[in-house]
Amino acid sequence: MKGLLRYLSPFAPDQSGASGVLYGLGGLIVICDAGGCTGNICGFDEPRWFTEKSAVMSAGLRDMDAILGRDDMLVRKLKDAAERLGSPFAALIGTPVPAVIGTDFRALRKMAEKRCGIPVLGVACNGTALYDEGESEAYLELMKRFAADRGEGPVRGRTGVIGATPLNMSAASPAEVLADTLSAGIFGGESGSDGRPVLLCYGAAGGLEAVREAASAEKNLVISPSGLRAAEYLKERFGTPYEARYPLPEGFLREELSSLCGKRVLVSHQQYLANEIRELLSGYGCEDVTAATFFMTDRQRYRPGDVRLTEEKELAELILGGGFDAVVGDVYLRRAARKYEGRWIHVPHFAVSGECSGIGEDSHE
Amino acid sequence: MDKKTYSVTAKELAAMGKDIPDELRSSRHLIYSSPATLAFNSPGAQGFGVKRAGLAVPGSVMLLVSPGCCGRNTTLLTERKEYDGRFFFLLLDETDIVTGRHLKKIPQAVREAAEACEVPPTCVMICITCVDALLGTDMERVCRKSSEEAGLPVLPCYMYALTREGRVPPMAAVRKTVYELLKKRKRKSSSVNLLGSFTPYEDDSELYEILRGLGVRNIREISRCRTFGEYEAMAEANFNLVLNPESRLAADDLMKRLGIPSIELTRLYQTDKIHRQYVLLGEALGAAIDDARWREEAEEEIAGFREAHPDAAFAVGEWLNADPFELSCALLRYGFRVPEIFGTVTDANLVWIRKIAELSPGTRIYTNLSPTMINYDCAGSEKVISIGRDAGYYHPEGVNVPWNDERQPFGFRGLKHLFERLGEAGKEGAL
Repeated sequence: MKGLLRYLSPFAPDQSGASGVLYGLGGLIVICDAGGCTGNICGFDEPRWFTEKSAVMSAGLRDMDAILGRDDMLVRKLKDAAERLGSPFAALIGTPVPAVIGTDFRALRKMAEKRCGIPVLGVACNGTALYDEGESEAYLELMKRFAADRGEGPVRGRTGVIGATPLNMSAASPAEVLADTLSAGIFGGESGSDGRPVLLCYGAAGGLEAVREAASAEKNLVISPSGLRAAEYLKERFGTPYEARYPLPEGFLREELSSLCGKRVLVSHQQYLANEIRELLSGYGCEDVTAATFFMTDRQRYRPGDVRLTEEKELAELILGGGFDAVVGDVYLRRAARKYEGRWIHVPHFAVSGECSGIGEDSHE
Repeated sequence: MDKKTYSVTAKELAAMGKDIPDELRSSRHLIYSSPATLAFNSPGAQGFGVKRAGLAVPGSVMLLVSPGCCGRNTTLLTERKEYDGRFFFLLLDETDIVTGRHLKKIPQAVREAAEACEVPPTCVMICITCVDALLGTDMERVCRKSSEEAGLPVLPCYMYALTREGRVPPMAAVRKTVYELLKKRKRKSSSVNLLGSFTPYEDDSELYEILRGLGVRNIREISRCRTFGEYEAMAEANFNLVLNPESRLAADDLMKRLGIPSIELTRLYQTDKIHRQYVLLGEALGAAIDDARWREEAEEEIAGFREAHPDAAFAVGEWLNADPFELSCALLRYGFRVPEIFGTVTDANLVWIRKIAELSPGTRIYTNLSPTMINYDCAGSEKVISIGRDAGYYHPEGVNVPWNDERQPFGFRGLKHLFERLGEAGKEGAL
């Protein structure tokens, strides 16, 4: 039946995505929940939580807060914490609780901003959507509130990056991974004294200042469809062009992917990474490739035959009935199609399995 | 701007009496996501949350009915062999959470989940979350309909974080739920149940020897039941030993439904208090309990540690198998110093705080839940041995004894094992 998961666990939800975008910016992030959603974010969906402190707080809502709609009490708590911590901004992130009681996030945000005297972002997540929806909303809010036109125009070779989050890139330090990848000259752009590219990696490095500098980017690199709305916004506001693709390191899975020449392959991941793997496979003479994703799709970069998945059952039917010789994707998805006997090349997706590592051939049944 | 960490001395706090300051009340401020907070504030994030607890019934499976976010961290559990194939999810969409239309789908989902199991489940636990708490779902009715549809017992598990400080917190409710399938049987004087934990107590705990000495042959714990038949035999108990106050509701229900009375014991770390409790237990059961041997063992272990580390100072956290204030009180009474406690102050532990104030008025009490804990820096503290995972988080450089194993310590043996661990940690890291 629709909505029933028999073998998989739910993927990272929208509030985790929103929190992941804002995590490294030094603000006060308030998850409007009773505690469980914050527990999921910090204890599972945010690998940086173990190594890097961030003021991610639970609103600690209780039944009477929800029933009586005590927004004023939440704002009072927010003000108190923001003052004690000296937070430069705050963000209110929704969960199922405010969604059920119909919290007006716009009004709540305005009230909080007025009382606290600092910028307050509102991201109306509801816990039923996936992480990329939350990321998309958070990136857009972030750019709308903080990207400033300083009248200096773009800096030659400077690249902005949208979408570099642990959930998209399956790395606890996505900016580092990206800098390593791009320093190999795949993308080009402005370089620092160490030869590594100078990137405005929004949300992942450089704090809030990088976001404020967004107008100085000569171009933006969007590495997940979750960054698309923000990229469009920056294009419209500052005229910054963007390129939508996921940069992979040179030689990425060369041995495994090159062995798939002439085979029928399914790639399942976030769309841009799946597309990039398809390009690599094409370079190795593998042309019969289908991309499938449970996540947001960019229609412009969607090929005929690509699959947008919504149900676990659809994935199982696709894998088992598609005649694929190999699947490239997070091996956690194999649970949905345990009878599949073809090859499985593991490319972790943190938003699926909560794993950052272990890339390569999966040998287990 | 105040970037300090909030804390209060034991003396100051004791003087306040029941007027616990707002900074120590979780309802009065945002809640910081420290490691202890995750265990304490999120009924499912760490350790034994509602989801794991609900599966304590042998052969049961769980259907989590919620938005995707509530089941996200279950990915970790499903990787463990004992939970593989036991979790199912019915994901709610935006319309469901507003209209409650998902309720009609639950019976079919229960049937499909049961049919997907290789071995038919003994029962299906339906776990619901804040959404249904707010919608006011009559889950008993939904479970009855689901039971008719699937042809097997179906019980509700309420993972209502919203009601954590309410009359029936989620962990108390689930402790009651897991015994609801027990049916009235003839009671046997040789059978006793231990209620309180979802994992067994330490095999060498004196509790077992004491009970056997009193003629009890069958000491049952839900976590040691390998089959549904063994679980059902818990209904024949002569009495229940309640070892965690969150099991009181379950004990009351078992008294009401099956006529099984209960006796409550508290996990303590002060030898005289442990002894006193056994004296009272013996009186209640009409037989004297000789606990001298275990007491001596524990006192010897403490003395050995004290000899090796006479100046030991402790930071005691709350993510551990103890009441942090009672444990701190014990450590102070054994002659050690406790400069810091990380704990949640409630009316129930004020008795220990008053005692701590007498023994060590300058002991600083922090709350894991305060937003200001993000500023905590141990650089200004003295060198301590931290006990509890959360205390270890705040003192990352020092010696830490997590003391939060799933196997549950209790009584003199629990105390002895704690000092054994402290001794081992002392050998590994310079104290």
